[in-house]
Amino acid sequence: MQRTLLREYEAMQRENLILSFDGPVSQGVVEELGGLMREKIRAEAAEGRLAHRVFAILVEQMQNIARYSVERVRLEGGPDRKDCLEMARGRVVVGREPDGRYFVACGNCIASVDGERIARRLSEVQSMSREELKDHYKRMRRLGPDPDSKGAGLGFIEMARKATGPMDFSVEPVDPRTSFFSMKVIA
Amino acid sequence: MTRYTVAGTKSSPEIDFDPQSGTLRIQGESYPENCSRFYGPMFDWLQEYFGRSNGQRVRLDMEIVYFNSSTSKTFMDLFDLLDDHAGQGKEIEVNWRYHEDNETAQECGEEFLEDVRNLRFNLVEIRD
Repeated sequence: MQRTLLREYEAMQRENLILSFDGPVSQGVVEELGGLMREKIRAEAAEGRLAHRVFAILVEQMQNIARYSVERVRLEGGPDRKDCLEMARGRVVVGREPDGRYFVACGNCIASVDGERIARRLSEVQSMSREELKDHYKRMRRLGPDPDSKGAGLGFIEMARKATGPMDFSVEPVDPRTSFFSMKVIA
Repeated sequence: MTRYTVAGTKSSPEIDFDPQSGTLRIQGESYPENCSRFYGPMFDWLQEYFGRSNGQRVRLDMEIVYFNSSTSKTFMDLFDLLDDHAGQGKEIEVNWRYHEDNETAQECGEEFLEDVRNLRFNLVEIRD
């Protein structure tokens, strides 16, 4: 166990990671990790908007995990309060690219049936220009989310607008019902 | 009608609506766990306020440091609601307040301004 932790620690150093989290993502985790990264980058970076971009991407990614991860951690409690006591498991990573830019990446299990829809929506957003993203964002904001969405359906567009490079994502099958979704956004 | 107040948290803003003066204030950060659950009661309150004969004027002061994409949708719904009432002849003004260093908040305000028609939407820069 200690060996594994050391290897992971060394890998984090090597890959220039600042934050690596794997576990249940509660609203408290979103607030604390988001706040921590925002403070850290605000203190270090010359560009004021960078801390805001990293924070915004991190919040969208963690709230996506909270809403869509199919790996749910059930905490002790009465069955009548189950929606308050269920937390979604996922992984988030913040690090630096070789050129110094910050990236935010996340990964979580999703239902395989949702994989295609997510990939389609991300591919659509990936190909858009800044101006197209702005129009798409405003149009979707008025239109409202599709029935499968648990939020406003704007998260991917929001992240694309905050990104300074192309967004990268993948959907890998884990078993017949489950896939692993991951994405990386450079802030 | 009673005043509507909600205390702010790390991820949800302070809300203070005074029906006497028609002054509303939303201030803080907005990325609650469940946006519709957090803002639902505020919309109910507003519907009731506008249903009353004295609900003729509104001044909404908003100062939001950061809001997530779900909140963006909710704010658009809020401005659409106010815009409809402004279109019916009510006197409605929104002051979108942002700190001079917060360019993102400024741009978000500009994008909301582009999407409203009837209400007075002012961008207000706050300096130190």
